[in-house]
Amino acid sequence: MRWGLRPRSSLIPVNGGPTNGQATRAGLRRLVHELSALELGERTAYDAGRLIVSEDDARELLSDPALADVRLACASPGEPVRIVGALDAVQPCSKGAGGGGAFPGFVGPALPPGTGETHVLRGAAVLAAGHLPRAQEAVIDMTPPEEARSPLSGTHNLVVEFERADGAGWEEVEIALRRVVLRLAVHLADAALEAEPDAVEELADPAVASSEGLPRVGVVTNIQTQGRFKDVFVYGRSLSGGLPTVISPNELDDGVVVSGQYGHPALKNPTYMHQTNPVVAAVRECEDLHLAALVLCPEPVDQNAKELVSAHAARLCATLDLDAAILTKEGGGNADADVTLKMDRLEEQGIAAVGILPEMAGRDGTGPPLVVPPNKATAMVSTGNYDERLTLPACERSLGSDRVALLDSPAIDQLELPAAVIYGALSPLGWGRVTCAEGAA
Amino acid sequence: MKVAHYLNQFFAGVGGEEEAGAAPESRDGAVGPGKRLQALLEPEHQIVVTIFCGDDHAASNPEFAGELVEKARERGAELVIAGPAFTSGRYGLACARVLSAAAEAGVPALAAMHPDNPGVGEAGGAPVVESGETARTMRPSLERLAEAATKFAGGDELSADDGRIGPTPRRNRVADRSAAQRAVVLLRARLGGDHEATEIPLPRFDQVTPAAPVDDPTEALVALLTEGGFVPAGNPDRLESARASKWLRYSLEGRDSVPEGEFESVHGGFSTQWANAVPARILPLDVARELEREGAVGGLFAEYFATTGNGTTVADARRFGTEWAAELHQARVQAAILTAT
Repeated sequence: MRWGLRPRSSLIPVNGGPTNGQATRAGLRRLVHELSALELGERTAYDAGRLIVSEDDARELLSDPALADVRLACASPGEPVRIVGALDAVQPCSKGAGGGGAFPGFVGPALPPGTGETHVLRGAAVLAAGHLPRAQEAVIDMTPPEEARSPLSGTHNLVVEFERADGAGWEEVEIALRRVVLRLAVHLADAALEAEPDAVEELADPAVASSEGLPRVGVVTNIQTQGRFKDVFVYGRSLSGGLPTVISPNELDDGVVVSGQYGHPALKNPTYMHQTNPVVAAVRECEDLHLAALVLCPEPVDQNAKELVSAHAARLCATLDLDAAILTKEGGGNADADVTLKMDRLEEQGIAAVGILPEMAGRDGTGPPLVVPPNKATAMVSTGNYDERLTLPACERSLGSDRVALLDSPAIDQLELPAAVIYGALSPLGWGRVTCAEGAA
Repeated sequence: MKVAHYLNQFFAGVGGEEEAGAAPESRDGAVGPGKRLQALLEPEHQIVVTIFCGDDHAASNPEFAGELVEKARERGAELVIAGPAFTSGRYGLACARVLSAAAEAGVPALAAMHPDNPGVGEAGGAPVVESGETARTMRPSLERLAEAATKFAGGDELSADDGRIGPTPRRNRVADRSAAQRAVVLLRARLGGDHEATEIPLPRFDQVTPAAPVDDPTEALVALLTEGGFVPAGNPDRLESARASKWLRYSLEGRDSVPEGEFESVHGGFSTQWANAVPARILPLDVARELEREGAVGGLFAEYFATTGNGTTVADARRFGTEWAAELHQARVQAAILTAT
């Protein structure tokens, strides 16, 4: 081993571990580098939690015919900085030379995701920010009031600002940004390949780890599939028109789910959030539950297809012999149905279902919290009402743009906004602590 | 306490439906049903001014409420009472707008209406007490309103025991644990046989009874409406792509089609590439004009109304619907085709 790690008790054999001659599917070893500082410098380098990023070293990764100019900037927690026009965000990760590839389908080959070793820079994110015509205004404050906290308020963010090249279509710009951000994320994690990790986390392959009579819990993650600028990719492909598919939760760590969806910022699940799926993490923490599988489901736009996908997802969950499932969504009101229909189908199969749902209860909180409630299932967790308004204090500096397009006001001003605009603040993947209830807050 | 009382044009004695466009006005003291209310509120409270407005005017001009509340304040009103509006939708909405304007001005306010009145959901969390369905129940409705108003004026919260109806506001707050961790807690409870635990109560929805078919479409003036974010290219009036706060109207006069490049959808809820390639997919003007030429419909209304139906609050959507209905009613439109996306 390269870092002289002490032997530790691992749940399952990992690559190079004892196999006793049996064919054993390996889990994933997550090598975690905790980031404590991020800055721009002459050479990209990582040392003891401090990451320096060189625009020169990254120049080739940043160039694309659709982009006239790409600039890098840093935004760290506690700084008086606001990021506006936030697009996709990615956690830096790498599988190293010969380790297969991170972000299979976009950057690396799909050999073999969810196994071997993955280096992650925890507490870091690469984030594109700027104007994309079909993206809805998304704001991240680095010193936010608690109710306006974004997942990216707590990470050291490398922000990619850009200009569109003359004559380039916006769809080409969107594709270029995805390429730039993903490759940059690998480039940053590559800088830490030789560093001793702060933590080594062994993630068992749920398909082979014994559940020993524990309740078998599935995580059902609905992803948006509504065409250009509203699509999410699995191994580089849209699930649009397809049926639910089962993957190992460990594959998420290698970035097999990548977001190209820019609607409803507070309800957006950026790539970063899939890589660090909070529901998967919460179930993994529980010794009395067995994390059995991750079911990825498209969110079709018409009702018949929603019913078909929901019935099929429930059938997959039954085939996986699940006892219970936690379901999540992405996007606005119609996507409620993709959660609640599945909750009902699962309960019919005798599988306990819990849905995580944001509310759309109107500015005064008196509207119906859900667009499509379940008929049979009842257990729902609220990530807060996205129509409720909140105030962001003035700040000193902005990235992404110097105007907030939605309000047509300077980006650094005090802003009155609906919670809907705060990037990931009401994360349907269950990241945040905001919730909603009757009576005084 | 000095009280301002809000009425519509009918109860204020201005006139019936033909006066629904009447502008906002005020008159000293109690008027119409306000006289009975005054008697019930005495001796502690005094109606110092009656404020009123035509129902159509109130539906089309939301700023009427602020103007009237200002007039009430000038007369020293410390409490605003609106209605009873019974089941009248436009009147109920107007009462709700008066409550909102009063809240903004820092004046306590309450209204009375029937639970089916769409205004109940528009009151923005301000108290609404139950009234009967029609003016035949005026007396008991005023008695309940006066009792609730007296309690409310004394600084007490109103509850269902006082006849309070409508939703209780839900407010955001920060929990101890993340939603994912709380989902695990709920999952354990559910596995343990708990079928009740939830953070989100099941919502109640309105039941909408479809209107009766148009008697004779060949005589009917027909309007085209859409929630497809359908605007002239460049979106000159900045219609929102989500959470619309407004609706817009654009002329169709002299126009037989909506060509690519001249109109676009700014809707944020779907990929608009196919809508923008053939804008008539959202606003079917071409086919509507054919029907007009064939005489299948009496005529097309000269404008279309548009908003964006994406993450729109029920309260805003209800307001748009009420305003559209009032506008179309005034323009003698008998039928409308509302394209949804």
